[in-house]
Amino acid sequence: MRTVEFHEITMAYRKGEPVLDGVGFAADGGDVIGLLGRNGAGKTTLLRIAMGMLAPQAGAVRLFGLDPREHPLAVKQRVGYVSEDQILPEFLKVAEVIAMHRQLFPSWDETLERRLCERFAVPPGARIRTLSKGQARQVALLCAVAHRPELLVLDEPAGGLDPAVRREFLETAIQLLNEEGTTILFSSHHMTDVERMAGRVVLLHDAAVLLDNPLDELREGFSLALVPVAAVDGERLRAMPGCLGLREQGGAWRAIVREGPAACRERLAAELGVAEARCQSLPLEEMFIELVGGRS
Amino acid sequence: MLIVVDPHSGVPVYRQLMDQVKFHVASGLLKPGDELPSTRALSTELGVNPMTISKAYSYLEREGIVERRPGRPLVVKALPGDDLKDRKLEQLGESLAPTVTMARQLGIGDDEAVDLFRRLLAESGDGGAAGGGLDESGDGLPGASAGGSDGGASSEEDGP
Repeated sequence: MRTVEFHEITMAYRKGEPVLDGVGFAADGGDVIGLLGRNGAGKTTLLRIAMGMLAPQAGAVRLFGLDPREHPLAVKQRVGYVSEDQILPEFLKVAEVIAMHRQLFPSWDETLERRLCERFAVPPGARIRTLSKGQARQVALLCAVAHRPELLVLDEPAGGLDPAVRREFLETAIQLLNEEGTTILFSSHHMTDVERMAGRVVLLHDAAVLLDNPLDELREGFSLALVPVAAVDGERLRAMPGCLGLREQGGAWRAIVREGPAACRERLAAELGVAEARCQSLPLEEMFIELVGGRS
Repeated sequence: MLIVVDPHSGVPVYRQLMDQVKFHVASGLLKPGDELPSTRALSTELGVNPMTISKAYSYLEREGIVERRPGRPLVVKALPGDDLKDRKLEQLGESLAPTVTMARQLGIGDDEAVDLFRRLLAESGDGGAAGGGLDESGDGLPGASAGGSDGGASSEEDGP
């Protein structure tokens, strides 16, 4: 049984303008999936559907084989969730919020709770509204992981946090992964975090899954080809098998090709007779910009 | 262990790990019998996915650099003397490969490139002994031959 499964999820907030249109992928125990996409690409919508907070208009989501809207309790006891805009009750004290969560989860681990309290150094007597953004998010993370969930859903967990808190956050998640083999599904605009954490990347664009690949494959099996505009007709380049995206900048075509640099150079030479191409592998951030940057 | 990863470079993190362990073995910083940190410990220390570490470790094991013993940490494997030298050359070859590609792209001839390399070696100072070793194995560098063949498409006649 798979930990999370999305089947043909379709969702539109306005008629005829789907945010998600037939989105599907799945994750198993120990998978760490980085969900990428531009603002408005539907990442938050998809994660809320996974949590049962929204019902998809078509398609289905299953967590541990269960529909989260039909079995909310059974599902939530095995899942941890943190989002950027999560609201904790402002008038409560940190210790009270933690106590509330402790009672909700039978599998709550008090040792882990104490360990994280010490690590985060958030004063237990402080009221939530007096906390900094970073501290509040740390409390939310503690509440999301202390029951040792099998699945951790993080919606832009590092949004608005300083690099030190972000790193702390990341390390806590990695530790959980090490100890429990937790499956992690997280959305982020911080590509370095994605590159550290993710084993696999799912890129949402135009309401669909544009890429779903292991991170190492994105680095080794994709390249950026720089070809002088004069050397080849753009449409021929765009039509070349494996070409995922193309734009022109400074007199050169910049094409993302689904092949490693050496194979890409050979293909360009063999299929289009282009000898003067420069092909290189590229960091995730550049790939993101090349693929979805110019077309929204 | 002295390992640094740059998740943002285009090189997969598991490769960066492999390269650095190999470099440390070749340079003698890691000696036969030395233990590598556990997957868990290194993953936490570097803040990267543990699967990435275990991937690097299993490739290193497959390449015969390290040895796995049940329930114990991975250790660096003992090497016959000649292998260590091969490994050093292999390391150097890997970092020279992109240079070879660049020489081809710039249309710099083999002799000119070799002369330049010699001059740089001479300028770097204490190098007499190393110069001799390079001569006999210059054509055996694994990276160099690979770079040469794929750069062949754009040869010298591309120039004006």
